[in-house]
Amino acid sequence: MSKKNSPTDLGSSLGFLTLRLWIALRSIVTGIEKFAGSKTQEVAVNIDGAPNTYGLTSSEAEKVYSLNHYHGVPAPLYDKLSKEPLIPEFALKLYDLALGPALIIFGITLLFGIATRISLFATGLIYCSLTIGLILLKQDGGVAWLGIHVLLIALALFNAKHDRFALLKNR
Amino acid sequence: MIKRRDFLRASSLASAGLVFGAPSILSAAAKSAPSDELRIGFIGCGKQHEVLFNAMKDIPGLRFAAVCDIMKYRVGSSASRIKSLFDYVPNRYLHVEDMLSKETDLDAVFVATPDFWHAPHTVMALEAGFNVYCEKMMSNTIEGARSMVQAMDRSGKLCQIGHQRRSNPRYLFALDYLINGEKICGQIVNVNGQWNRAVNASQDINVKESILPDEQTLLQYGFANGADKKLSLAELRHRFLNWRTYKALSGGPISDLGAHQIDIFNWFLGTQPKSVMASGGRNYFKDREHFDNVMCIFEYDTPSGGARAFYQVLTTTSAGGGYFESFMGTEGTVEISEREAYTNVFRESGSSRNWDGLVDRGILTKVASGQAPGGADAIAAYESAPPDKYAFPGGLSKPPHQPHIENFIAAIRGKAKLNCDARHALESEAPIYWVNQSAETQTTIHFTPEHLHT
Repeated sequence: MSKKNSPTDLGSSLGFLTLRLWIALRSIVTGIEKFAGSKTQEVAVNIDGAPNTYGLTSSEAEKVYSLNHYHGVPAPLYDKLSKEPLIPEFALKLYDLALGPALIIFGITLLFGIATRISLFATGLIYCSLTIGLILLKQDGGVAWLGIHVLLIALALFNAKHDRFALLKNR
Repeated sequence: MIKRRDFLRASSLASAGLVFGAPSILSAAAKSAPSDELRIGFIGCGKQHEVLFNAMKDIPGLRFAAVCDIMKYRVGSSASRIKSLFDYVPNRYLHVEDMLSKETDLDAVFVATPDFWHAPHTVMALEAGFNVYCEKMMSNTIEGARSMVQAMDRSGKLCQIGHQRRSNPRYLFALDYLINGEKICGQIVNVNGQWNRAVNASQDINVKESILPDEQTLLQYGFANGADKKLSLAELRHRFLNWRTYKALSGGPISDLGAHQIDIFNWFLGTQPKSVMASGGRNYFKDREHFDNVMCIFEYDTPSGGARAFYQVLTTTSAGGGYFESFMGTEGTVEISEREAYTNVFRESGSSRNWDGLVDRGILTKVASGQAPGGADAIAAYESAPPDKYAFPGGLSKPPHQPHIENFIAAIRGKAKLNCDARHALESEAPIYWVNQSAETQTTIHFTPEHLHT
């Protein structure tokens, strides 16, 4: 086997690393965003260069992260999914609770290259599970969007043999 | 013996002197001291009571000491709400006389009963020595409203009427800054106001019978007033829940919904109208005693010239922009509503004044330049160019009733003057009492001091 096509080829390794990092960051940031919310502050509006004396205010919203703002499944989707007969309420609650942390955990393991194949497979399962909900709600655009993610993960799994830059080697 | 509320007023003035110039921590401690707490009683615990309570629950220094309603269920609900928010239970009463005689250390009572009880309850509370905040319309009769002014004068107590727009920063800004200060309207020649409400929001109220007062109580509290026959229990209960539709119990939609807005006409124009002509009908709710739709025109002589104000209250459609009061002048228009979404400011295309400076100073924000609708059906010779659209620079971040209640509370503490005491409220409300009569008789009523005096 020539060096160019061998599993230790640098180009293939860097290509895989790029794909792994993309999937990792996609998962981590998506997971973190599930803890995002906004804090609104009312401030007095300025008239003639000074805060007005009437009490007129405008809202200034600031993005914040906290456990209180956690929403695994966005509220509008949650409401629609809770009405789906194929999705039991308890399963939806559990899924809502686990989705954000799962994305962050598997994203971190992918980022550092810890059990890369298992992490990729688990991330692929998450995107498959998300697809089920969108199929039920007939959101075809979303299904296609998730399908692209699944294809990227499958591509990464095919090329996992090039995984040279990892903390823990996956066999 | 010095009553607690007399002591309160004296001690608040004294403590104001003591803390003057003291470190801020001392001032803060004085503000939260129990002696500074005002004790509040509620007469009437229905829907409007809920609105008022929600608007005052965040005002510091209040203790909700007593609640009263002839409907036991409402008394319990109100007490539970107070308990859940403040961890204490108010004293509960079914009869006003009981509450007023036993709760001698109240600082103020809030009256939110049916309109025909406003005057008796307010007069009783004032004469018992309490400051009163009473919901609008002052009464279902002008005589009742006048009795409230007299009781306020006799007792020397404060009596604020719930025309809450009078304390709304947006309305104060519109009047002081835009209309009187910058005179952006030019000469106001027309006023247009409306409250359009859909049929489904105007339906009769029904609740389960088991929680309603018994027949004896409903008779005792006048819910058979104006009936020309003996009423069944079902009829009495209908009157109790839907008193707004009966002539002897309320002033109807023109008073219920129109009072707030016609008050703004008179307040902003700074004068009372000189006549009213009205038309009304029972076109959809045919069994109701009051008109379901009323339209009326008031004529004014203002300091800057004559003006007409059109007002309509419709309980059969919500189309046409909801509810607003529009002050239409030769240079611009201020269209204001308690809902910010219905509030707009327009600059006439031919106005000689450039408003860019107002935008630069933060007085207005520009929304859009006027755009002609165009199209083949436009009759260019007759149409004027559309006005530019502007918006207020900010809004109100509290429930709409809160500033008015805060003004009342500040007045009790001696730190403010009432924004709408009973006399000023009646000066503004008096023309409204004649709208239904004008519509019934299909005549123009030219107001005399006899019609409008307080």
